[in-house]
Amino acid sequence: MRKLLATAFAICSMSSTSHAAEAWGIEHEKLVEFSARVVDIACTLKNDCPPDCGGGKRLLGLMTEDGKLRTAVKASVDFAGAVNDLLPYCGKTIQVDGLLIENPAITMVMVQRMRERADQDWVKTEAFARNWEARNGKSDEWFRNDPLAKKVIAEDGVYGIKGLEPPKQ
Amino acid sequence: MFKHLLAAAVLCGAVATSPASAQTSRIQVKGELVDTWCSVTGIMFAAGTAHHMCAVWCAVGGIPVSIKDEAGNYYMVLRIAEDDENASNPRFVKIMSHEVSVDGELVERDGTKYLFVTRVIDDQGVVNLTHEDNGIQPFGN
Repeated sequence: MRKLLATAFAICSMSSTSHAAEAWGIEHEKLVEFSARVVDIACTLKNDCPPDCGGGKRLLGLMTEDGKLRTAVKASVDFAGAVNDLLPYCGKTIQVDGLLIENPAITMVMVQRMRERADQDWVKTEAFARNWEARNGKSDEWFRNDPLAKKVIAEDGVYGIKGLEPPKQ
Repeated sequence: MFKHLLAAAVLCGAVATSPASAQTSRIQVKGELVDTWCSVTGIMFAAGTAHHMCAVWCAVGGIPVSIKDEAGNYYMVLRIAEDDENASNPRFVKIMSHEVSVDGELVERDGTKYLFVTRVIDDQGVVNLTHEDNGIQPFGN
């Protein structure tokens, strides 16, 4: 019995480390780990190619080894995409650990961790938070303190309609 | 005549095959500007007034913005007219949750519809009133 438990524990340990990406229970999601080249999506589709993959102002994608373009939609930071994480690797091939969501309406990737080579440690995709704090200071909830978000919500209201306010608590 | 046909065939071939495996067409789309992650995953109630604040945060955070039409199609916006910045673009942030009608060029590749908007025909503002049933998503404030 002890042998059986030890074997089961060993198998469970192996399976938990082989995929460190966190499942979110999203319909059509798959835990994935793959190699891909970081690309500017608009450049790839339309040959409209500013330098340095747009310098942070362009959505970035992952061109897999079998030629599939995957849009990197989300990083590990709340309400943030993966552009800040991927940008330093523009044109380079990296390894990605995360979720592939093949919804019939759209295919997209949540990049949870990445690294350049197999002999490196995985790095969590948190560059947006680091870069945001470097510009704006420390905050537990960057989104509530972002100057642009605050300005737009102050002007148009939380519902996006001027003058329409939530009931007072 | 033969030369012209040959040249046309070569041009058509070039358009059809460049970039590799992408299909391009002109299209008119009407729908709501949504943050693609929340809307597709259904993690939060991601539509209209109830989700407007979250949609603004996501657009600022660089999550792709899509137009979702009535049929449930997502068109990921990569350009609006001359403005080719498509990540954390303040222009997108200011019109999140709006219902818009646009002309554009659709490029479909590997399961995703990408839209290069050439003209915004109409912007109705936020018209999808979901807050009475759903409050403010995801945090209630």
